[in-house]
Amino acid sequence: MTQQMPQQQTPPTKRKKRIRVPRVENGIETMVEIEVDDEGGPSWGPNGAHKLLNHRLTRVDGPAKVTGAALYTYDRRAPGMLYGRILRSPYAHARVVRIDTSEAQRIPGVRAIVSLTDPEVSGSTRERIVRFVGDPIAAVAAITPEIAEDAIRAIKVEYDVLPHVVRAEDALAEDAPKIFPEGNFAEKERRGDPNAVEAELAKCDVVIEAEYRTPIHHHACLETHGHMVDYRGGESAIIYASTQGTFTIPDDAAKELGLPSSAVTAIVEHMGGGFGSKFGIGIEGKLACQLAKRAKAPVKLMLTRKDEFLMAGNGPGSWQKFKAGVNRDGTLVALRATQYQLGGLGDGSLAGQPYIYRAQHVYRERIAVYTNEDASRAMRAPGHPQASFAIESLMDELAYKLGMDPVEFRKKNLRDPVYHRQLDRGAREIGWERRPKQPGTGRGMGCAVGTWGGGGAPQCKVTVQIARDGAVTVAVGTQDIGTGTRTFTRAIVAEELGLEMKDVTEKIGDSRLGAANASGGSTTAASLAPAVKDAAYNARMQMAQTVAPLLGAKPEELQFADGKVIGGGKSLTWRQACAALPPAGITAQGEWKANLAASGVHGVCFAEVEVDMETGHVRPIKMVHVQDVGLPLNRLAIESQLIGGMIQSLSMALLEGRVMDSRLGAQLNPTFNDYKIAGTFEMPEMIPIIDDEDTREAVIGVGEPAHIPGGSAIANAVFNACGVRVRELPITPDKILRGLAELRERRAS
Amino acid sequence: MTKKRDGQTERPESATDPSRRRFLKGMGLAGAGAAIIDLLDPELAPAREGSSEADRQLISDTVEVSLFVNGQRRTARVEPRTTLLTALREYLDPPITGPKLVCDMGACGACTVLLDDKPVYACLVLAVDAVGKRITTVEGLGTPEKMNAVQQAFVEKDALMCGFCTPGFVTAISALLRRNPHPTLDEVREACQGNFCRCGTYPRVFEAALAAAQMKDRE
Repeated sequence: MTQQMPQQQTPPTKRKKRIRVPRVENGIETMVEIEVDDEGGPSWGPNGAHKLLNHRLTRVDGPAKVTGAALYTYDRRAPGMLYGRILRSPYAHARVVRIDTSEAQRIPGVRAIVSLTDPEVSGSTRERIVRFVGDPIAAVAAITPEIAEDAIRAIKVEYDVLPHVVRAEDALAEDAPKIFPEGNFAEKERRGDPNAVEAELAKCDVVIEAEYRTPIHHHACLETHGHMVDYRGGESAIIYASTQGTFTIPDDAAKELGLPSSAVTAIVEHMGGGFGSKFGIGIEGKLACQLAKRAKAPVKLMLTRKDEFLMAGNGPGSWQKFKAGVNRDGTLVALRATQYQLGGLGDGSLAGQPYIYRAQHVYRERIAVYTNEDASRAMRAPGHPQASFAIESLMDELAYKLGMDPVEFRKKNLRDPVYHRQLDRGAREIGWERRPKQPGTGRGMGCAVGTWGGGGAPQCKVTVQIARDGAVTVAVGTQDIGTGTRTFTRAIVAEELGLEMKDVTEKIGDSRLGAANASGGSTTAASLAPAVKDAAYNARMQMAQTVAPLLGAKPEELQFADGKVIGGGKSLTWRQACAALPPAGITAQGEWKANLAASGVHGVCFAEVEVDMETGHVRPIKMVHVQDVGLPLNRLAIESQLIGGMIQSLSMALLEGRVMDSRLGAQLNPTFNDYKIAGTFEMPEMIPIIDDEDTREAVIGVGEPAHIPGGSAIANAVFNACGVRVRELPITPDKILRGLAELRERRAS
Repeated sequence: MTKKRDGQTERPESATDPSRRRFLKGMGLAGAGAAIIDLLDPELAPAREGSSEADRQLISDTVEVSLFVNGQRRTARVEPRTTLLTALREYLDPPITGPKLVCDMGACGACTVLLDDKPVYACLVLAVDAVGKRITTVEGLGTPEKMNAVQQAFVEKDALMCGFCTPGFVTAISALLRRNPHPTLDEVREACQGNFCRCGTYPRVFEAALAAAQMKDRE
């Protein structure tokens, strides 16, 4: 993803300040410190004083989406367009000996075939080793989707099958088949002194040893990854892409097509979900470009649902082992943590333990373990939900062992007062006092806490134009991945100019427009909104210069409100004021301003569930998520995000997980029938709460934090309900029944 | 496995039987023996045994179908195995792309269309079997300028995010309100239990459905 360093063009006399901003590389967020101007210019003003922002704005693209008029990449057609399909490996580990495409080529309607042993495909190798079931081998383009499917089946591949490994425990064994020449694991972090921590643990009043696991998850974007490459062999190309980053497409596509980057345009008008998995053109995009180049015809290559499960990246799993010690008063004293990140061929990700909590003595090691599965990608708050499930389960176990209220125990080990107030608020909303003090009643409550960055960075270039006829347009190449980017972009401009939503048009999702960051790390709003505000502010300042003399007022005295420009005791309607503009109207640019964004959010989730003690079935009853967000750009959309985050974490807690067969090395559930995601009957009552006690007058991203604590809260509620601590997600009925049986046995003996 | 709606299980008619469709889809290249392996798991078939060369033959006939979509007579030349969904999206010109291809196996509801006013998964219906029936897609329920009550309520309640599942939900709920103008919350849940949303809009979909029922009353 393209991330530019801030351009320092201001005179050195300006005051500077250093701020921490998130940088996303390969979807993994890290915080870096940069220097920015500390200047005047636009400011948001008090959160309570907005006309449009911090209100409930319906989505501007809503009518198009609910009527089927919205065009997604998958919906694109072009004259003469071909359909691309990918051939994937049926083996988890093999050397491709020979690819015979002759039969496929003879099928009428097949127009191009490309294999990943062809040197023209960037990153291809003459000798191809496939490393997971689903690893792409070749692709075809044909005149119909059906013929493309036939052609894929007609390609004959000879494999030299190699030994594979798909379970972390097996991968760590000494005699395990080597996935990479360097081995099957890599140390990512080692911090603290294990001996000192052991010594402290020996002194603690209560010590617990436990391990927690989460399986590999799937982003399960409803629109699969893919592109429509509109290229007929000329000097330019348009790539329609289902991506989280408009500007992550042109360079990669240009390389495949043999064109200069400037000749390639990426279009992202609407996209059907990414959740961290859609950055860059990917292997499917490379293949689509190669097919279009060979066939000299547009190619639409969207992954099939099975492709999507097998080769479009995964949300990594985890295996975390703890030894933790607390004192009687509830202070977490010492923690020893071994954290395995299970990202298939990728590194996975895990927040370092004890995550948000404080412990005086910590030793932790984080180790990436590799298996013959596709490489992990960022997934909605990478590494946080997994870290949260483990530490929040452990904290709960410690609280119960100490006989402390889990909320009080958490507060004892959280320094930040924001968490304290949010825990109190959440407890009040769910009715925490109704919680059974002794587990086993069949109904229970749990809670958990999370954090995220969500800051912005100087990457967006926004243009606001005001025409003489009063038309207002805001343009920037950013993408709306379903979060409501279009809507807040329009709202910021409308509010700044004293107009209504309908008076402004936005243009986004096009790489010919001003630069914008990719939507990763919840950085879109905090990067884009300040630049939009700046552009709108500059447009207003320019307009004030022109209009002020007409009103006999000074430019800085003018007010833009209710569709009027007011000053000097007089007013002009917006149209009258615009008519006074020069023929070309006004064009103003805007860039990111540090004072308009902030970073660092807090969230807590409370859940109430019912557990059927006969069947082990868990029914979520209620979830409450309290989240600070700085300035809420659009309350309606933010609440939707909070609800969405709760649902995804509920789904993770109770239903989701990739299931691998270790003998075949294959995924057993690569379909929506077998990989379960939450549906209408799993939905509890959901209460999203924007924490308005956060008075920061600055924008912070909120897409990811809502996905962090919910699953942990559900897991803890399950324990409170039935007395079974399920330490491996998902919490399925079989695990609860096994736990209940163990409880009965323990009581009997 | 047609969708269970409104409490009554609709037994699969042959037209919408997924096994039949899959069988036909799998028949493109393979003879009966290979097709059975494909039904078990086409991906792993080569891992189990080499499919016999002699079994393979190509069925490549196409057939002209006339589909009655959103009040208009539309024609396309499709293969017998072409699904209604693919015919709408990839064969009609101009295409009808409101119904989305997501799971391709009747699990997610994103392709829901009305066939003679009954919601069906268009990915489980062959185009040739939709001939002679009234097909209504989300485009036929309203336009951005003139939305139906369900569509209006979806926008007002923010019952959509990325929007890829939305046409399916809108269609399923519009059908529900036609046959049951005053549904309970549980009836709404049931009407769209066969629809998946990944962004997480379900609670607002419920709100929108109930609001749309009231809106229709006022009309």
